[in-house]
Amino acid sequence: MKLLKGRRWPYVALTALVSGAVAWWAIPHVGTRTRVVGDYQGNDIGPVLPTLTLDALVSSASAQVMLLAAAVAFFVQLYSTKYMGDDPRFRSYALLIVLFLLAMVAVVAADNLFVLLIGWEVMGVCSYLLIGHHWERDDAQSGAAKALLVTRAADIGLLLAILILGQTYGTYSISEILVASGLEHPRNATLIGLLLIVAVVGKSAQVPLQTWLPDAMPGPTPITALIHAATMVAAGVFLLARLLPVYATSQVAMTTLAVVAAVTMLSAALFALVQTDLKRALAWSTVSQLAIMFAAVAVADGRVAVDHLMSHGAYKALLFLGCGVVMHAVGSSALSAMGGLRRATPVAFWTMTVGFLALAGIPPTVGFFTKDEVLEAVRGTPALFGVVLLTSIVTAAYSTRLWALTFLGEAKEKHQTPWVMWLPLALLALASFALSIGKPLHLGIGALSTVAAVVGIGLGWLLRARTFESRAGRVLAGEFGYDRVFTRFIPAIAGWKARTVVWADDNLIDSYPRGSVHAATGSSWLVDRLQSAKAQLYATGIAVGVLALVTYALVRVVVS
Amino acid sequence: MPLLFPLLLSAALFGVGLYGVLARRNAVLALIGVELMLNAVNLQLVTYDAWYGDTTHTGQVLTLYVIALAAAEIGLGLAIILALFRARGTVDVDDVERVS
Repeated sequence: MKLLKGRRWPYVALTALVSGAVAWWAIPHVGTRTRVVGDYQGNDIGPVLPTLTLDALVSSASAQVMLLAAAVAFFVQLYSTKYMGDDPRFRSYALLIVLFLLAMVAVVAADNLFVLLIGWEVMGVCSYLLIGHHWERDDAQSGAAKALLVTRAADIGLLLAILILGQTYGTYSISEILVASGLEHPRNATLIGLLLIVAVVGKSAQVPLQTWLPDAMPGPTPITALIHAATMVAAGVFLLARLLPVYATSQVAMTTLAVVAAVTMLSAALFALVQTDLKRALAWSTVSQLAIMFAAVAVADGRVAVDHLMSHGAYKALLFLGCGVVMHAVGSSALSAMGGLRRATPVAFWTMTVGFLALAGIPPTVGFFTKDEVLEAVRGTPALFGVVLLTSIVTAAYSTRLWALTFLGEAKEKHQTPWVMWLPLALLALASFALSIGKPLHLGIGALSTVAAVVGIGLGWLLRARTFESRAGRVLAGEFGYDRVFTRFIPAIAGWKARTVVWADDNLIDSYPRGSVHAATGSSWLVDRLQSAKAQLYATGIAVGVLALVTYALVRVVVS
Repeated sequence: MPLLFPLLLSAALFGVGLYGVLARRNAVLALIGVELMLNAVNLQLVTYDAWYGDTTHTGQVLTLYVIALAAAEIGLGLAIILALFRARGTVDVDDVERVS
């Protein structure tokens, strides 16, 4: 009973309560093929005022994502009792996890677009606060600020998309919009699609807004698991999958999405291959896997995207939580500090092996099946198919490399893993197999992707000891220098803008108060001259005034 | 005698008096300026009295009043100037203003 004592457990109980409620709500909807019904009367009333309603629209995909979020949030909370147990700010940390879960549920289950937006923004704030949990550290501060700024900038796209959806369909209810877009040819599809893509590119860290996610790594590792697996970045995929009918007819939007996905998945996988830090490599892996989901969305198959989201959620949460165990053991996330952890942290070794197998797409893990589905879905687009296949080779390669560098080598001393840390790992490892039950299998593509994975594993094995000192390796390790835009040019532009504003404030705005000071000084000087206390001057004034009045009266008499 | 002559003389007297009040530094001379202006008014009063042939001679009566008033005024004014000179040692208007 000693384990259940302590001030950490009320938060676990709270999370369990919330997760349980979410699961209770979601489970009846799993697997249902609910047709979206809404009483859409057509847009003859014109633009509408923003409305806030608490209606829920829980499709099967929503229910799945809700279950995933609830489970991962609960695991993260349980895991954190040990991982973050001694943290002085544990309370805010634990409560933010609950808020994060609730915000994700709002995004996933809301029927009203503005409730969705609120959940979306609350997630952004939660991620900012949690990434910056160790705000004493500079990298945590800057990583958190970067995450917030990048995602918030992209969120303008979501806000505009929502407003245009409201203008186009005369309603802010997702169910009504979906019904309406089914009844008639969707209008404004390209504009809405592109704006949604902007929002999602930021939230899900796709090219060209991908750099915040790897830089969010100073956040506590359980939070990284939460953000990467189940909540923040997953929301983007879910949003695009849910609103797919609204923009699916737009060739421009779909092509843009496909290009973004293709560029992101391959470059992020290559970045993951050359990282020297386990956590950062896993972050790039998330970016790459999300892009694979977007590839499925880009061929208008939202269900497959959500399936891959689920499987990725399971094994990526597993990998990050395992990464936390490993970091706990060696006190660092650098790959150079690791090696030989196979015997030191056996639970992490076995579960992360499962996680890496799922990431690489080896049957019968769920990663294999969902990647199979994605490949099947994108088969009609040869270019995208090729990129996904190439990415799965690179994915298998970096998985193998990370696995080998972390666990193989000289044995280190044994490290105790408390049960609250290994239990979530074991359950997630189980889920990495269990989720594949009932998944369809496409033999030809399955064989092809397995071959790709095996090739990748071989490649990864050969590359495991390489340090990427070559020119190409350095370019890759520098992540194409893309981050320079964010670390140098954008701050420079912002600084220039700030200086301009300061200059304008000093010289344009302030000229009015300064002018009023001059006017007051001048007028008081004038009054001072007049109030000279010289009786003769006053008398002169009186005389002149009388003379003027008399002259005026005379002139009037003469003129009239 | 045309009406114009006494009126012109009165205007000239008034102008000189006004100039004395406004421009002279010496308080005594300024006071003399006041007297000149009063006398310009007196001249007008008697002029119009004669011009209208007023049987009640209101103008002349008013003139007598003004002369009495002027006598009182000049007595008071000279007393003030005397007191001022005793207190300050000067009757220069500007100096008085500067010190006060």
